[in-house]
Amino acid sequence: MPSPAAMSTPSTIAEQLAFDAKDVCVWYGEKQVLYNINLGVRPKSITAIIGPSGCGKSTFLRCLNRMHELVPSARMEGNITLFGDDLYAPTVDPAFVRRRVGMVFQKSNPFPTMSIQDNVVAGLRLNGIRDKAFLNEQMENSLRLAALWDEVKDDLHKPGVSLSGGQQQRLCIARAVAMQPEVLLMDEPCSALDPMATQKIEELMQEIKRNFTIVIVTHNMQQAARCSEQTAFLFMGKLIEMDTTEKIFGNPAEQQTEDYITGRFG
Amino acid sequence: MPQSHTLHNFDQALTNLRNTVLMMASLTERSLDNAMTGLFERDTHLCNVVIADDEEIDTLEKTVDKDGYDVLIRFQPVASDFRQVIATMKLSNNLERVGDAAVNIARRVKKLNAHPALPEVRVLEPMYAEAKAMLKDSLRAFTDGDMEIAMALKPRDKQLDRMNKDIADQLTDAMPKQPDQLRGYLNLLFVARALERVGDHATNIAEDAIFAKSAQDTRHLNPLKE
Repeated sequence: MPSPAAMSTPSTIAEQLAFDAKDVCVWYGEKQVLYNINLGVRPKSITAIIGPSGCGKSTFLRCLNRMHELVPSARMEGNITLFGDDLYAPTVDPAFVRRRVGMVFQKSNPFPTMSIQDNVVAGLRLNGIRDKAFLNEQMENSLRLAALWDEVKDDLHKPGVSLSGGQQQRLCIARAVAMQPEVLLMDEPCSALDPMATQKIEELMQEIKRNFTIVIVTHNMQQAARCSEQTAFLFMGKLIEMDTTEKIFGNPAEQQTEDYITGRFG
Repeated sequence: MPQSHTLHNFDQALTNLRNTVLMMASLTERSLDNAMTGLFERDTHLCNVVIADDEEIDTLEKTVDKDGYDVLIRFQPVASDFRQVIATMKLSNNLERVGDAAVNIARRVKKLNAHPALPEVRVLEPMYAEAKAMLKDSLRAFTDGDMEIAMALKPRDKQLDRMNKDIADQLTDAMPKQPDQLRGYLNLLFVARALERVGDHATNIAEDAIFAKSAQDTRHLNPLKE
């Protein structure tokens, strides 16, 4: 039974949750890495997941779009819904889940052989969309949303990998939002970027949260404090506490959270 | 005792900040004590010491602010660490004002000591004892994180306000009887008023102690509204 502080989102919120994870447990082979995670993510907001290395935050993030299933030994119990839909129902195709739940990784990973514009619409093409006008429109909209259009509009045919690290990461965000997902998962998206590039991504997050729900895993606690509305603290595979970011970084309920965010361990 | 930070420089910076403000507190208490002893024992030399020591208190206030900014910039503290830094900086500000109150008392006492003693000086003794005790307790609440002492300060401040009012009434009544001592009575009224301000600062320090310990903002609440 989770402690009251570890209970997901405050029950006073009547709105439907984007994600609602119930009793999520994950194993890699024999090793259990997540224990009964109960966590709610509000729609059109930014939720940060913090915790020391190995606490299970990236694993939990991957459970939200079934990416953990790519690891052969991974096994999950529990239940996760996205706007009420069971993501783990037997009839649900993981590829369909990943269309609804996009992901941006720690290291930017544009397709190396593709141009900037082809990178953005690669997902759409993979899903059989061939309408050139539509693809062009989506490409421009996505690059604008990722605040990259003005920087690349004259170089759309250049390879995606010719861009700077920060631009490549925004290209990956453009590629993710081109699929018009409902949620964007970000796994330490700024850890390899300089402060200016990080600032651009953070500004971009504030912009796109108007249309998308964002869940971000970050080691940078200042980033979590700056960007998110809710913060969850995981430690050794357990959700220790989840609350508003103001509360977590101002006066957390749990001593373990306090000790972690004030740098007393981790 | 909270666990140490993994970053030892952070612990050291917090300790330095705390030590500086505690030194400032000790100097401020001594100044107030000197100013009032100067009044009760007609010791003008002590009043001069108070006025001279104020520069050191002002310098320490600036040191606490500088060290506090430094901790905020370098370590970006959060939660209880953040509250501790902010509360320490506010404490130094309140102490500096207590130091100013001591200087103002010392200046008035020098004027009083230049004339024959007023027997009414003794009516200030209980008020001074309470103001001094409040300051000491507020500092204890801050250093020990003692919420019980801190919570008790606000009602005590009300009591100090009443003492100030009673003294003002007594001195006002005495004025027509000895019109040639009018300036002296006005100086005593001023001293009482300065002690009442010391009580206000002690209450502020207690409120900051509560904030540092529990993140509760108890300012501008008035449980004893009359």
